[in-house]
This record gives sequence, structure tokens and C-alpha cells, in this order.
Amino acid sequence: MNEIFAKIVSLTMLSVFMQNAIFDRAFGANVAIYASRKESHVIGFTFGITAMTTLASAVSYFFDKLVMPLTNGNLYMPLIYVGIIGVLYIAGLLILWKFFHKLFRKVKQYASLAVFNCTVIGALFLNSNYGSDLASYIGYGFGTGIGFFLACFMLNIAHERLDSEKIPRIFRGYPIMLIYIGIVSLAFNVLVGYTADF
Amino acid sequence: MKKSKFSVSADGLLRQNIVLMSGLVTAPVIVAATSVERAAVLVVSFFLISYTSILLCRFIPRKIVYTVRILLYAVVAAVMYIPTALCIAKLFPNVSSGVMLYVELLVVNSFLLAKTETRFYLKPYGEMVLDAFIYVIGYAVVAFLVGVLREVLAYGTVCGFHLCEPVVPAAKSPFFGFILVGIMAAVCRGISGKRAPRKERGV
Repeated sequence: MNEIFAKIVSLTMLSVFMQNAIFDRAFGANVAIYASRKESHVIGFTFGITAMTTLASAVSYFFDKLVMPLTNGNLYMPLIYVGIIGVLYIAGLLILWKFFHKLFRKVKQYASLAVFNCTVIGALFLNSNYGSDLASYIGYGFGTGIGFFLACFMLNIAHERLDSEKIPRIFRGYPIMLIYIGIVSLAFNVLVGYTADF
Repeated sequence: MKKSKFSVSADGLLRQNIVLMSGLVTAPVIVAATSVERAAVLVVSFFLISYTSILLCRFIPRKIVYTVRILLYAVVAAVMYIPTALCIAKLFPNVSSGVMLYVELLVVNSFLLAKTETRFYLKPYGEMVLDAFIYVIGYAVVAFLVGVLREVLAYGTVCGFHLCEPVVPAAKSPFFGFILVGIMAAVCRGISGKRAPRKERGV
């Protein structure tokens, strides 16, 4: 039991700090920039993405074990992952619609953006590289969601200053956000002393 | 007799460029476009997956609810990934798995999932075909520009041919990609003379 918990924690730490979805891989950077504009969006998107990456990672573990060993099995993985995400997406919306109708009306316009993005599907692809068992898949998936929260939070607290009059007009908004993410990404690389080899 | 209007705008090249202005497809360019060859892989795969999916998904009936329709778009793109991956393996046998990861991610890109609903599928088919193609050209121009700049700075080569000593080896890092694309986005904004509409950005 302790070993499983340690595995979940270590993979979570790996995906939050060393391989942060936004700062290290740029997965869903556009969604993070969008979500960071409002605090309520940060919480909502984080909850949606974390739930999806964790659940989808757990389900994808079984499909990875089944399909990856096949010849050209990796060709079918995007289709399988889209299927997993799609089933969870519709199931989640049905549950919200049936039991939490008010919440459903609030989140339905953002749900697709929180689910069908590079952060969620990227976590599944990386899991097939780094995950060895169910615990590590869940840990990595959960950590990806928490890493997304960390990135969104850091963008949110900088948002007001980066959108101020002090920033040259052509840099305001999207360009300065990218530059800011780049600087934080550099800081993360230095902090962990690690460089992703692409 | 009523004349049919066929108007095509070049918005996708600059004013609504999907990398520099609306930020719909940024991750592959920021992280994976570190050389001309990698940029070529991204452009070919983007064309084969996203563009063809847009053309095919047009036939999905609009009366299907958006919740299901968006899922079908992603499924079509995931099916298109199979011939694309085989084609990339033939054309670029030395392509690394790091770049292929970003090719796989194209099955859920916002260009296909969002831009179709807000722009392409509101136009007649012929007009849409050309309009979407202009957006792909806009993506290709930025991907190659980023690829050339980073290859020169990081490796001192262009298309593999030695040019000079590497000036900024860190140019192949993701953080450099963010900063470079951010600066290019500002320049693009300066040239086009206005900020992108707020709802367009970050969707």
C-alpha cells in the first residue's frame, strides 16, 4: 500500500514540477491563458481537467496494455484516447444534467474546452511513456491537472499587471502572456535542472 | 437572376493567424518546431489531419447537438491520424518521437474544434475550402519561420547545411519557443494594426 502511494506521489510531483504540462510541454497553453483571466475559470477548468486526466489515465492504462503491444498499435492510440475522453465527457455531462442541473447550465459552454484540449490527451500519451502500472498512470494524470492549476494560478496573478498601460500596446494580452510563460518555463528548467530533449 | 457571391479573405495569413493572433494551435510550433525538417513534419501533418478533417466534418449534420458533434470531429481527426502517421514515416524516416507527440495532439486542436463552428461551417463549401487553406498557409509560414530561426540559432544550420557556429544553443528549448512566438505575435499585431477580438484569443 505504501509503495503504491509513494508511486502516485512521485509521479504527481514529476508531472507538476519537472514536466509541467504548460511550462515544459506547452500542452493547452492557449486554454491556460484563456482560463487564467478569471479566478472562477481557474478553479472550474482545473477541476474539469484534473478529473478528466485522472479518470482517463486510469482507463487508458488497460487499453495501453491491450493495444500497444500490437503491431502498429500506436497508430490507433489517438482514436482510442479520443474514445475514452468522449465517453467520460458525455457520462460527466449526463451526471451533471441529471443530478446538478444548475451546475450543468453553468459549465456546459466551457466543458468541451476543458475536456478536448492538449493537456488531457497529452497526459494520456505521456502516460504510455512514463507509466508502468495503474498507480503511476493515476499519479501522472492527477499531477498533470495540478500542474495545469499551478500554471493557471501563476498566469492569473500576473494577468492584471501584464494587461496594464505600462506594457506596450502591441504586446498586451496574448503576446506578453507567451513571453511571461517563457520566462517562468526558463525558471522551472533551472529549478529542476532538467531540460526536455525534443 | 441572383448572383452568387464568392468572397475569400486573407484573414488566416496575418490578421487571424492561428499561431500568432488567435493562439489556437501554438504548442507544436512553440515546442517542436526547432528545425526546418521538424517544421515540415508539423505542416504536412497539420494539413493532412486538420484540413482534411475540416473538409470531411462539414458533412456531419448540424442537427446533432454540439456536445456530440465536437466528439465526432475529434474522432474523424483521430482516424485521419492513421494515414498521416504512415505518410510521415515514409516522408521523414528520421523524425523523432518528440515531434510525433505533437502530431498526435493535432486530433484535438482548437482550429478544428472551435474555428469550424465560428467561421468555416458558416460559409458555402467552396468558400470554406479556400478559406481554411489560407489558414493552413498562415500556420505553415509561421512554423517554417520559427523552424528556420531556431535551427540557425541552436545548431548553426539551415535544412541541415552548416551556416555558422551555434549562437544560442538554448533556442531549441520550449522557453525560447514561448518567447520567440510571443515576440512574433507582437510584431504581427503591430503589422496588422489592431488587436485580435477578445473572444478570438485563447479559445
